[in-house]
Amino acid sequence: MTLLKPTVGRALGWATLAALVVLALFGLWGAPPDSVQSDAQRLMYLHVPAAWVAYLAFGVTATCSALWLWPRTRSPVWDRIAGASAELGVLFTALTLVLGSLWGRPVWGVWWAWDARLVTTAVLLFLYLGYLALRRVPAAPDARAKRCAIAALVAFVDVPIVHFSVTWWRTLHQEATVFDPELKANIHGVMAFTLWWGVLAFTLLYVYLLDRRYRLEALEDDRDQRELQRLIEERIGAAVPAAGPPDKVTIGATK
Amino acid sequence: MKFAEYVIAGWVVTGTVFLAYWLRLIQRTRRAEQLDRDA
Repeated sequence: MTLLKPTVGRALGWATLAALVVLALFGLWGAPPDSVQSDAQRLMYLHVPAAWVAYLAFGVTATCSALWLWPRTRSPVWDRIAGASAELGVLFTALTLVLGSLWGRPVWGVWWAWDARLVTTAVLLFLYLGYLALRRVPAAPDARAKRCAIAALVAFVDVPIVHFSVTWWRTLHQEATVFDPELKANIHGVMAFTLWWGVLAFTLLYVYLLDRRYRLEALEDDRDQRELQRLIEERIGAAVPAAGPPDKVTIGATK
Repeated sequence: MKFAEYVIAGWVVTGTVFLAYWLRLIQRTRRAEQLDRDA
């Protein structure tokens, strides 16, 4: 009931932990302070990877939702992965906003600005919170999966808007550091290494947590099915004595 | 370190969020596994 084999999942967990420790060492001590933003820029090693994983998670949710909607590939597995990935996307989006706020205070002088990037990211968070709420609305498994898949695809429209908001509108938020519109990396040396390492470490963490969350989703689906089966049997059991056993029912009696 | 309070807060928040989410996930999974065995 997991996406990965248990041994692979455990190895991934330890590799993720090691990668996060290395990231902390480089992010806090190994990488030099920025010439303009000084040490405040060290938050970039968390903020950018968190935003990347949020995009990835919502991309996985959208892809799995499309696979569920396509009749040839329809499977409850896609619905479970979509739900698990959306929850992780919400977690990483919330973290991106909090880290951005902590970074914005020393650099911009404010915790929050009504800026295109910030507002579209907040909208993204609320869209997927709505998606998670929709998943909790009781319904038949297929009906729930269908409406959630459609909602996930609609919500995903905001992802490219978030990403290109800094180029489409004049914003306080800086433009892309790693890949600007000419796909040129504007970061080098140890800072670039630390940033890429952060992306790798957070991606490993995402895959590890997705595997764990998928298992939980599968267990909860099984439990719901058992509960539904029990309720149906209870209803049948309650209905039969009221009607009386079939052999005592007399239709068209002649006495 | 300049702006240490913001940098440390960011790293502590990140670590705490990851740890709390992972622990909650483990706890919920164990509970679901227990119910699965009991059924």
